[in-house]
Amino acid sequence: MLRYARLLGVQIRTSALTLLQYRLDFLTEGLLEVLWSATALVPLFVVFRARPEVAGWTFPEALLVVAWFTLLQGILEGAINPSLTSVVDHIRKGTLDFVLLKPADAQFLVSTARFQPWRATNVLTAGALFAYAFHRLGAPPRLGGIALAAGLLVVSTVLLYSMWILTVSAAFFVVRVDNLTFLFGSVFDAARWPSSVFRGIVAFVFTFVVPLSLMTTYPALALLGRLRPSTLVVALAVGAAFAALSRAVWVRALGRYTSAGG
Amino acid sequence: MNAVAARVRAVPTLLRIGFSEAVAYRAELLVWILSSTMPLIMLALWTAVARDAPVGRFGQRDFTAYFLATFIVRQVTGAWVSWEMNWEVRQGTIAARLLRPMPPMVAYAAETLAAIPMRLVIALPVAGIALAITGGRVLPHDPRMWASFAVSLAGAWGIAFLASFGVGCLAFYFESSIKVMDLYLVLFFVLSGYLFPMELLPATFREIADWLPFRYQIGLPVEILTSAVAPREAAVLIARQWGFVAVLFGIAVGLWRGGLRRFAAYGG
Amino acid sequence: MIAVRDLRKHYRVHKRPPGLLAAAKSVLRRRYDTVRAVDGVSFEIRAGERVGFLGPNGAGKTTTLKVLAGLLHPTAGEVRVDGHEPRRREASYLRKIMLVTGQKQQLLWDLPPAETFELNRAIYDVPRDGFDATIRELDALLDLGDLVHRPTRQLSLGERMKCELAAALVHRPRVLFLDEPTIGLDVTMQAAIRDFIRRYNERTGATVLLTSHDMDDVAALCPRVVVIDVGRLSYDGPLDELVVRLRPEKRVTLHFDRDVSPSELEPFGTVVSSEPLAAVLQVPLASLNPVVAGALARLPVRDLTVENAPLEEVMSELFARSRAARAAEGEAAATGPEAGS
Repeated sequence: MLRYARLLGVQIRTSALTLLQYRLDFLTEGLLEVLWSATALVPLFVVFRARPEVAGWTFPEALLVVAWFTLLQGILEGAINPSLTSVVDHIRKGTLDFVLLKPADAQFLVSTARFQPWRATNVLTAGALFAYAFHRLGAPPRLGGIALAAGLLVVSTVLLYSMWILTVSAAFFVVRVDNLTFLFGSVFDAARWPSSVFRGIVAFVFTFVVPLSLMTTYPALALLGRLRPSTLVVALAVGAAFAALSRAVWVRALGRYTSAGG
Repeated sequence: MNAVAARVRAVPTLLRIGFSEAVAYRAELLVWILSSTMPLIMLALWTAVARDAPVGRFGQRDFTAYFLATFIVRQVTGAWVSWEMNWEVRQGTIAARLLRPMPPMVAYAAETLAAIPMRLVIALPVAGIALAITGGRVLPHDPRMWASFAVSLAGAWGIAFLASFGVGCLAFYFESSIKVMDLYLVLFFVLSGYLFPMELLPATFREIADWLPFRYQIGLPVEILTSAVAPREAAVLIARQWGFVAVLFGIAVGLWRGGLRRFAAYGG
Repeated sequence: MIAVRDLRKHYRVHKRPPGLLAAAKSVLRRRYDTVRAVDGVSFEIRAGERVGFLGPNGAGKTTTLKVLAGLLHPTAGEVRVDGHEPRRREASYLRKIMLVTGQKQQLLWDLPPAETFELNRAIYDVPRDGFDATIRELDALLDLGDLVHRPTRQLSLGERMKCELAAALVHRPRVLFLDEPTIGLDVTMQAAIRDFIRRYNERTGATVLLTSHDMDDVAALCPRVVVIDVGRLSYDGPLDELVVRLRPEKRVTLHFDRDVSPSELEPFGTVVSSEPLAAVLQVPLASLNPVVAGALARLPVRDLTVENAPLEEVMSELFARSRAARAAEGEAAATGPEAGS
């Protein structure tokens, strides 16, 4: 365990050194991110221009969901996605073998391969959205709500990571995988809306298959003081289940890779 | 003239092989199709918004018709050439393409078109569902409008393809033009009618959008299909659409030639 | 150290016949072919040996190497390396091996090789002083100098290969798997790499498995050769013996003081090539002495060399023979039942 902690440190250091080689990217990525966030708010404005309330959510409340979405997107694109593309690169160049030769868990090595710290701008954007939303709501969140939301944030990160591992495992079966990140992003995009908007089979999918509602709606509810603390227990269970499932799928995919000839 | 004739003869083969490739890469195609599910999510969202009362002139049925039409149009007109070109430039396989006597723009166009049958396999059932739900009232009854729809669909495809191809050409200049494509998509989502009908935007934004190509990539064919425009207005809009197609074609060709010179100068 | 028994590795590859109808059909049902990359290979290697795997492209050499490294699971057969089963990929096993491929690299592209060394040190858990000593040794043996501090993308192919080897040896593995390590390198660099591998083997006693279809690699490095063709073992033993067995003739190169015509050379042996002032003869081993004596006596010889047939020729001969044998096998199998009935 201590060895893996040290290894994580080394990986982060290596990642940082690599990024320093390409300084211009830092600036352009940050700017693009702000632009993306701004335009992503447009649908929200259009929806709430038509109605003061949608599916039980007012504009500032829905803004909270968008804020959580922005925060998670920062984690996704800053810590999780870059490593996904590195696995895809490895498979394409045939250098995944070198990862498999190392006496360390392959999943750990590929997950910590690359980080993109300029996505920290997402944290700032999310912070601004949180501030504005609570300004509109007129009352700050209670401490209990914040603690609950923080716990859910951890679970959401675990969920996002597990979903990514599942997507990358698909990369072993799919020949051309540039579009997998696009798929992931497209599906994840539905998380910017409060989950009560979706009904029927879509709601089912977004609650149990791809638990988007857990990731953005629940933390927003927690901040609004509308979530029971017992939900955290359920959330932790779901997170653990997803983590276990994704690990199993990864091991299976790797097994297929090594027997199918790589 | 012989060279052109030879190329024209090659097109059916290109289409056939493109179809075989689309079939071979079944999983990839599925990924692409699944990635275009945003209209369905928007459908869920907007029908929720319209649950109690219509938004503008859109009731739940109207939104359903609109977004299912959007889904179909997106499936038929989607182009991913920019990603493919970036991939090929990175891999170095673009050189092989340049050696062939077939102009790459034609080859890419053929490949994109060849994938449409597979995409229709998904789109047609959705069309069937749309028809069942909305009862066909929404569809145009005038055969001329159907002709207009066909023309606008072709124009939409042209805009989507040429924009994607143009951005792909930028890979010759900037190593990777994926971020440019991301930027295009951001604007496309907001200004094309993909995420919400253009009618719902405030007047000033609508006017700005009318001067950009995005609106003609999705909005126009969808509006014609759902009888949201009068025939005369449609004719004007189609003329503007093809104006954009012509402009984008010029830009694309220019970018391609310039990119090629750059590629040759710096050695692929 | 390494024991392989009846190793088999088969792949299923789906057939894609041309044509529109076939393509449409393949959406629903796919046809598969079995490719027998390795089809029953057995051999044993002792610790500290240097063994070369020879064979034409697609023979199954790289596949065998990958199975030994634990990167591929065998379809059948037993494989043991230093008491481990490679397919289990135990951490203790992975610490004992290394793989270097001529065509792919593990060096981080944007950073100097020194960073990859550090990364490997952390991954393989090499103690700091051991690591420093190893790096110094590799630096001396490979003549790395300043290379390790320049970003990998700025190094030439040969420089990259040297650093790649160093990165793979940071953890002092006991078994070296080398897959075409000198491919694409110039002659000087090839010689330097071969020299390094031999010296490393002599100093540390590491077992070396090398695949190549460059005969010079194998001739320079590997006293023992395993020949694999179409997934099967054709030969396993000393290289010299193989050459002698296949071409039990010597090449005699003669340089003359004056013009000698081919007709004058014929009594001595088969004329392989002939120029006005030089000639190459192929002479059976048995008659070598009389021929050399006779040539020196009766021809105006200025210089004379005796050597084995070129390795390339010998190998082509071997592959051609095994292919003929397999073809004959195939025919016999095809006509057998018919002949019986």
